[in-house]
Amino acid sequence: MSEMKMVILCCHYTNEATKEDVADIPARVEIKRYPCSGRIEVVDILRAFEDDAEAVMVAGCEKGSCHNHSGSSRAEKRVEAARKILEEIGLEPERVQMAFVPRLDTGAFVEAAKKTFETLLEISRKGESSS
Amino acid sequence: MIIAERKPIPRILQMIEPFERVAVIGCRGCVAICSAGGDREVEILASALRLARKRAGKPLETIEETFVRQCDPEYLAPLTDLKEKVEAVVSLACGVGVNLVADLHPDLKVYPGVDTSFYGANPALGEWEEKCRGCGDCIIDFTGGLCPIARCAKNLLNGPCGGSQGGRCEIRPEVPCVWHQIYERLKSRGELEKLTQVWPAKNWIPAGHGGPRERVRPDLQVNSKK
Repeated sequence: MSEMKMVILCCHYTNEATKEDVADIPARVEIKRYPCSGRIEVVDILRAFEDDAEAVMVAGCEKGSCHNHSGSSRAEKRVEAARKILEEIGLEPERVQMAFVPRLDTGAFVEAAKKTFETLLEISRKGESSS
Repeated sequence: MIIAERKPIPRILQMIEPFERVAVIGCRGCVAICSAGGDREVEILASALRLARKRAGKPLETIEETFVRQCDPEYLAPLTDLKEKVEAVVSLACGVGVNLVADLHPDLKVYPGVDTSFYGANPALGEWEEKCRGCGDCIIDFTGGLCPIARCAKNLLNGPCGGSQGGRCEIRPEVPCVWHQIYERLKSRGELEKLTQVWPAKNWIPAGHGGPRERVRPDLQVNSKK
């Protein structure tokens, strides 16, 4: 079992997946829920990294289907802001991924989580080969 | 309002490098409105600093506070207790706030977390534009309310310059030529005769000659320290 930790910040209306749904991912996966992805702030992403996450996925509804109209679009912008901050402090911005997933489609949610984990593995591989 | 922008995080990390406990203090005045130094920016910066220092193997503890304003001594009163708990303070106030903190607390190491940029307006969410230079000698009654000092790249008093093309500035074509705008504005108001006045070289003395400027209203003064 990998010691890597990945945090998923997820809109409550986008998906109700649990840790069991992402059990195939060989990492410690933590899912935090929000009333809307638009409620996820830049600092929530940064604090996940402070709490030892090595990658963060922000999950929101597909554009145009947000329960609160534009929550997932807001989340996307905050992901971009968090990426810039990570870059400033020497972390790979790709460690934060925005995932737009169809509402209540756990299959798509899990796929997005796996993709984020694969990105993390890629970053780790690059880090190892350059060190 | 005063517009500011957060300094690059590596620069702030450099300032606080020797310290293990710092306070990041915001201001709910102008810098909060322009999203550079309010509550939200304080928590983001504090988190980013802690994260960077954790990665560097030199953990940092932070205290996060945001004052109503940092440009009034009464709102800085909590600093008296706060400074006992930290080794230094990163202020996200504009330069006015940082200066006042430094004036009132000579024993406190205070560092600026933002660059103070300009006096500006907020025409749309996430956008700020300079509208005033604070030159101390306002003439915009003659220019339709549009300031050629702040909004003309050449600060011309008798514009437009020869480079103005199609209503755009030659220095930055994405910016409207304010002198073109002044002409159109005065024309629509039937006040074009105001442009027949030729302005002599500007008197820059009110803009800051002789050191820091002051303003006094004797009717409001109580316990003046002057």
